[in-house]
Amino acid sequence: MKSLILGRYFPNDSIIHRLDARAKLVAALYFIGLLFFIDHGLGYLFVGLFTLGVMYLTKIRLSVFIKGVRPLIFLILFAAMMRVLFTGGGEVFVSWGPFTISSQGLWVGLFTFMRFILIIFISTVLTLSTKPVDLTDAINALLKPLRKLGVPVDDFALMLSISLRFIPNLLDETQRVMDAQRARGVIFGEGTIVEQMKKLVPIVLPLFASSLNRAEEMADVMDVKNYQSGEKRTHFRQLTWHTSDSIALLMMVGLTAVVIVVNYTMV
Amino acid sequence: MKSWRALDLSYGAIFICLMAIGANITFWFPFLAIPIGGVSVPLSLQTFFSILAGMFLGKRLAAFSLLGYLFVGIIGVPVFAQMQSGVFVLFNYTGGFLLSFVLVGYVTGLLSEKINQKNMISTSSIAFIGVFVNYIIGVSYMYLAMNTWLGLTIAYQAAWIGMVPFLIKDLVLAGIAAVVLLKMIDRMPSTAYH
Repeated sequence: MKSLILGRYFPNDSIIHRLDARAKLVAALYFIGLLFFIDHGLGYLFVGLFTLGVMYLTKIRLSVFIKGVRPLIFLILFAAMMRVLFTGGGEVFVSWGPFTISSQGLWVGLFTFMRFILIIFISTVLTLSTKPVDLTDAINALLKPLRKLGVPVDDFALMLSISLRFIPNLLDETQRVMDAQRARGVIFGEGTIVEQMKKLVPIVLPLFASSLNRAEEMADVMDVKNYQSGEKRTHFRQLTWHTSDSIALLMMVGLTAVVIVVNYTMV
Repeated sequence: MKSWRALDLSYGAIFICLMAIGANITFWFPFLAIPIGGVSVPLSLQTFFSILAGMFLGKRLAAFSLLGYLFVGIIGVPVFAQMQSGVFVLFNYTGGFLLSFVLVGYVTGLLSEKINQKNMISTSSIAFIGVFVNYIIGVSYMYLAMNTWLGLTIAYQAAWIGMVPFLIKDLVLAGIAAVVLLKMIDRMPSTAYH
């Protein structure tokens, strides 16, 4: 339960952990976008090595990253296989009905595989090395320009923080409600489909009612402390931008340059 | 734009939590998986809670809260089904269902605000419309995702057929959402508090 509140954050002291959450968020999203523009094996080699380098710098064991890929590996392999089987061109090795295995197809399949794996690895780096609360602050900071358009960015970030704080409580509550209903003789996991679904009512109703109580108490406390949406606020946690953050973003620019050069010079 | 009250924000946050718990309820309570036509359908209460969010919070706050749910998942808290998180989940073939929750909340909220009479027939109809919005967007996105960036060729009908057990489950749950709403109607933020 406790693991949920922290997300998959993996506390460590590394250069990647110390980077500003804003820099990491921007860099990760940019990197994922960049992956879709690579169309040469050498480009994949570069970004692949870059990703491995970043993973090494987090000082987190490789097995933790592999764990993130495992639930999706079949989907990825399947997608890559389909690409292999349905892409023609180049030297044809095997041809069987509508399926062909060609040199072009093998490359495209490998690229698909690489792209998915790298997307998962880099988003895992982000979530393992950054606390969810820091990421909410980063979202708050990055969405700030939208405030001029009247989007309630601060309120949004505050709502996310409140929800992160309440998820474990509500989980405990669910457990308690279920135990209470069992003690009253409700048997879960038996009967027809409709009967089983109906048993959700005695779980959901008390859960819903008690969570609304919590929300009302929370709102009362905020009102007592005179929370005003849209007012200027100071923050308890401060994000600080260091030189290393600028360097991280510059590396993204460098990577883009490499990808462009490889795409245009290699054929 | 009307600013939010403290109560709106805390109610919105609570619905993010409910969505998170609803998505993974079978993870903690495995006996809640339901057999439909021989397939064990893991019970996910996401559609259920997004409909409830719409009808309970109203269109604006529901969409705001459900957008918040997506963001919590994107920043890496495992609140999506099967304890997943991250941007990648949205690009996966089931990502359309997640994205559609915002619209489900908005549409059910809009209808709920327009129709003043709250009885079993009106609320369950709104809930059913919510389910259809969810599935039309979700399945179309699945079809689109598989045939484009995931590179899996699949017919549109086949995508629908695969989702039928889930659709049945969510339609039943929509009826239950209507029951829950009618019981909790006097606690709605628009009426309960000022």
